[in-house]
Amino acid sequence: MKGKEQRRNLGYGLLFAAPWFIGFAVFTAYPIAASLYYSFCSYDAIRPPRWVGFQNYHRMFVEDPLFWKSLWNTLYMVGVGLPVSLAASLGIALLLNRKLRGIAFYRTLYYLPSITPVVAASIIWLWLLNPEIGLVNIVLRWMGVAHPPAWLTDPAWAKPGLILMSLWGAGGSMVIYLAGLQDVPEALYEAAALDGAGKWAQFRHVTLPMLSPVILFNLIMGLIGSFQYFTQAYVMTNGGPQDATTFYALHLFNQAFLDFKMGYASAMAWVLFVIALTCALVVFRTSARWVYYAGEAR
Amino acid sequence: MKYATSKDQIGRRVPANPLPMCGISAISRRILITARCLALFAMAAFSAGCGHPSRTGTTEIVYWTGWSGHEFEVQQRLIDEFNRTHPGIHVHMLSQFGTSGYQKVRIAFAGGATPDVMSTVWADELAGYAMRGVLTPLDDYLRKSGRNVDREFTPGVARMLQVDGHVYGLAVTTNTNFIAYNKQIFADAGLNPDWPPRTIAELDAAAQACTKYDAQGNFIRYGFRPGGLNLWAYVFGGQWYDPVSRRVTANDPHNVAALEWMASYRKKYDIQRMEAFQTTFGSDETPSGPFFVGKVAMWSTGEWAQEFIRRYAPRLRWGWFALPAPPNGRRNCTTAGGSVFVIPAACRHKKEAWEFLNWISSPHAVKAFCLGIGNVPPLISVGKDPAFQRDPLFRFAIAIAQGRNSFGPPPIPIWPTYSREIARVEQAAMLGGEDPKRLLDDLQVRMSRELRRTLADLGR
Repeated sequence: MKGKEQRRNLGYGLLFAAPWFIGFAVFTAYPIAASLYYSFCSYDAIRPPRWVGFQNYHRMFVEDPLFWKSLWNTLYMVGVGLPVSLAASLGIALLLNRKLRGIAFYRTLYYLPSITPVVAASIIWLWLLNPEIGLVNIVLRWMGVAHPPAWLTDPAWAKPGLILMSLWGAGGSMVIYLAGLQDVPEALYEAAALDGAGKWAQFRHVTLPMLSPVILFNLIMGLIGSFQYFTQAYVMTNGGPQDATTFYALHLFNQAFLDFKMGYASAMAWVLFVIALTCALVVFRTSARWVYYAGEAR
Repeated sequence: MKYATSKDQIGRRVPANPLPMCGISAISRRILITARCLALFAMAAFSAGCGHPSRTGTTEIVYWTGWSGHEFEVQQRLIDEFNRTHPGIHVHMLSQFGTSGYQKVRIAFAGGATPDVMSTVWADELAGYAMRGVLTPLDDYLRKSGRNVDREFTPGVARMLQVDGHVYGLAVTTNTNFIAYNKQIFADAGLNPDWPPRTIAELDAAAQACTKYDAQGNFIRYGFRPGGLNLWAYVFGGQWYDPVSRRVTANDPHNVAALEWMASYRKKYDIQRMEAFQTTFGSDETPSGPFFVGKVAMWSTGEWAQEFIRRYAPRLRWGWFALPAPPNGRRNCTTAGGSVFVIPAACRHKKEAWEFLNWISSPHAVKAFCLGIGNVPPLISVGKDPAFQRDPLFRFAIAIAQGRNSFGPPPIPIWPTYSREIARVEQAAMLGGEDPKRLLDDLQVRMSRELRRTLADLGR
């Protein structure tokens, strides 16, 4: 009796899950599997894919200097841009985690930029970062910098320029930090203060450990986002000057949709996947050492 | 952007409202019936979307155009005229504007969902499509209609339309490169405004004379900045591909000389400051374009500039001159290119498609279109028409287009990639100060390999 009912419920369950299941199979699982196959093919999207073994991978590692350049550019965003923006959003969150009059207003103010569409923000920043008439350099000159950087027109300053812009959108992770900060029990600070801990010691030994799960979360999300860095470069610099902002995803996109080397682009996608996965795993594995979950024995 | 996903994550932190499991069997029947109806409805809607609606006795052909805005309207008038005068055929024109439109073409070829005729193919891409077998060769149609591409079109365009001896597309416009110069600045700089540069040495001297700095050494105005290595290589007597030996010739000594000359501007002028100066004004063809507002004396452009100057700087005193060449280079040199009309191999109404293509590339239609949008006509006979010849700029531009130094894209399938790589090499030399010879040697190796591999892929 019970078994029949269960089977029927299972049937209905599967039926109702079917739209998602079919969608997943057709639009996610199949394309992923196909891209792995294409990565071993020469495929121009018109003629059927032709098996070429490891040629795409060989081309990537040995023959395509732009592959290494784009990988370096992306790692720069991961290694420099991500820590800077994580620190900045944490800093803003700490500043905004006070009981002040009108604090909600300031929180909104800092969060606001992160809801701006990326393309719109990029166009605005294109002007803000203009070396001659941009607001950023006007302020820098006013502060006494005689020769402020040429930002997006100078290969050495293009990536820092983009990082600067990402700080403007730090509100997204700031809100998450803020939520984490509000969860830190007041009692811990009181106890620490009684033990004679100053502001810095309280931050170092109470706030940071209590916040570490949130930091881990922001780190992982930021890691994934940085590896996929694309839109700003596509809109603002299209990879220039001199490929200084040709990020991995942009190079991949150009290979796929300008040169129609779908096989090569698929191979690039898989290599990026492996790199990002490795980084995420390393972060997860090491996180046991620095992430503290309340209620967990140490 | 980086944190776009985190907002979803916040959402997930909120505990989901656990819906009580309701008795499925009670409501399931009704839901299932509704679902089935919806599915049927969706299928019906889907199938209605496919296939072209056709009037009785009239064949509808779908045409994708790459022109937009005002140029689209000019073409629409021609399409209307065609539809009026050809009662058996109705051309339905769809705009596929911008880069994504041209990318869509590739996807359409991949999916076999091409229209009957399209002009959303760049001349750069023609060889690649032709060699992949997705275009209809037009030779038979041309012969039956008594047409001959080599006789009708300017030599540069005629070469550009043929791949391996077959014609795969027809052009209705072409362009001529030249340099526009500001006569007022020439006069201010002590140059004769009626005696524009004719040699590279004269061009360099004029550029120097017209450049002005402020007290801090920032640019107020500059004379000239060479751009477009693809073009200047031809001016210097070089080429990018040798159709006889079928070899890539990226490091042809003339190409190297052209790039070395371009890079000499990097040494003579502070290129970073020039770049920074350039960011202060709008792009070339906007009302605040540097040439229109007098911040640059010489502008490397084409016949379309006339219309822009008329619109944005009607009081500008300006003239034009052909690209100056070095002693052993090519005088009156230009590149040819632009959009090409093709009939996809999968076209279902080839006879009607050809009738339309034959008409739209006829002298009558080409004249109307080129006059309407201010481009150089690719048909020799139309270029000789008084409607163009009475305009001094067009007389000049047409003479260059019809000359022997007009170069279309080489008939190789890798040209879109190759030409982008040429632009990257130019940047590396101009901005990065890298050695031109080394850059072009490297390009030679990479593009030879690319060509060999692609031809092998295509079974050649």
